[in-house]
Amino acid sequence: MRTLEYEPDERLLIEAAQSEPARFGDLYNRNFDRIYAFFARRVASRDEAQDLTSEVFHLALASIRNFKWQGAPFVAWLYGIAANVLSSHWQKLGRDAPLEEEDLGGMSDEVERNLMLGQLVNALPPDQRLVIARRFIDQKSIREIAEELGRSEGAIKQLQLRAVVNLRERLGRKK
Amino acid sequence: MNREISAEQLDNEIQRMMEAGGRPDECSNSLTCLGAELRLLPSSDFRERLRDELLVKAEALEERVYSDFEFRTQSSELPSLAQREFSMLPTDPRSFLFSFLSHAVAVVLIASGIWISRAPIVKKRPLTSDLTYIAMTPGDQAPHGGGGGGDLSSVSPSRGTPPKFSNEQLAPPAIVVRNPSPKLQVEPSVLGPPQIKLPQSEKIGDLWSTNVTIPSNGLGSRGGMGSESGTGLGPGNGAGFGPGSEAGLGGETFRPGNGVSAPHAIYDPDPEFSEEARKAKHQGIVVLSLIVDPSGHARNIRILRALGMGLDEKAMEAVQKWQFAPGMKDGHPVAVQVNVEVNFRLY
Repeated sequence: MRTLEYEPDERLLIEAAQSEPARFGDLYNRNFDRIYAFFARRVASRDEAQDLTSEVFHLALASIRNFKWQGAPFVAWLYGIAANVLSSHWQKLGRDAPLEEEDLGGMSDEVERNLMLGQLVNALPPDQRLVIARRFIDQKSIREIAEELGRSEGAIKQLQLRAVVNLRERLGRKK
Repeated sequence: MNREISAEQLDNEIQRMMEAGGRPDECSNSLTCLGAELRLLPSSDFRERLRDELLVKAEALEERVYSDFEFRTQSSELPSLAQREFSMLPTDPRSFLFSFLSHAVAVVLIASGIWISRAPIVKKRPLTSDLTYIAMTPGDQAPHGGGGGGDLSSVSPSRGTPPKFSNEQLAPPAIVVRNPSPKLQVEPSVLGPPQIKLPQSEKIGDLWSTNVTIPSNGLGSRGGMGSESGTGLGPGNGAGFGPGSEAGLGGETFRPGNGVSAPHAIYDPDPEFSEEARKAKHQGIVVLSLIVDPSGHARNIRILRALGMGLDEKAMEAVQKWQFAPGMKDGHPVAVQVNVEVNFRLY
């Protein structure tokens, strides 16, 4: 039986956030991954990507009342802010690299791949997902993970290998 | 299982990559590269933490917006400078100064007549067009139609605009479509005279609903949108639109006073003179009777005092384009009957 999934109208969400800024959370949930992925590919570390993502959403919230609906998706507006934020960030670092077209367009293949990777990690079996989160996101050592999960270091390394191979295969299939 | 690399080898490479702060484009094999990409995923609590921060800021912003009026009136700065904090990009005070000076120059030019003298002299332009109100018998000329419906949803119908009126309703209005592949594609409509024109948009819904977020056909039943029963739209029953029953456009028509505020024009382009009246230097006042509906549009326009020479038609044509702030009763917009005087005077 086919189930209809209704995507709430983005324009209504924008209008709700404009009249009541506390409703900005819905727009944030819908666009966080894309904006984070935009930065993850362009900066040196996760901390930088997180800081810049945070700046974009703070600016967007402060300016949401100025947003005028012109038919383009909301994320396009966020990409515009992100490109400005990235440009300022590079200036502060003394990097004199002009923004490329894809920096302004936002939705490059790499951003899409980053988005997909986050979704695929969430779809891994629970033990593999946990190892990936601890090892790569929390940056813990194999020994620390083994102690936390009460398993041998060898078992954790095997889980790590299976998880990474799994992800590579699924990414290959999705591409 | 992977044959190109052992678990031990992979972990050694990953460890080296992480210690070197490796980027996805600076790694030795595809699995390590993937590890470098995984390093860049956001930390597990970041998303929630940022969301919480934003919500706290949003609440503060709401409070600040409410007190913004007070701030502006107390501030010695002009409004555009006071709003600087809300601007995404830094404001250059010179641009404000430039704007102020250019506006001042424009005002001086207009006041001195320099600009006006360059524009073509329009002698046929009427001087005034005023609104006056007349007493009317309650219910006189009041439309009695209306409509409603719904699909037993748990929330009120979402905000939008009604579909067109039609003498024959083939499909009821709906924002949540229950049959995604109908055999026959038919445009939804509400039952009523097609001459009734209301604002249109792509989003079908109730003009005055407070539900702006959740798509819903409403609490009512029988397939339309609303809170009662029928294939129409609104708080009534039937296949029309608005309060009331059966069909057509519902809602009682009020007159100003006794808790009903008078509508006022917020966009009122002047009517044109007819060629015939201009040649004959004919001028005077046309009085029209009309109902300002809750959406602020004039309907049921009738001529109470005619002037002739094509000026009556010109007056009706202009008033049809006007946009009103509707009359209000108990905080809700209502249909209010008013008289409009359109004064045609030649300079």
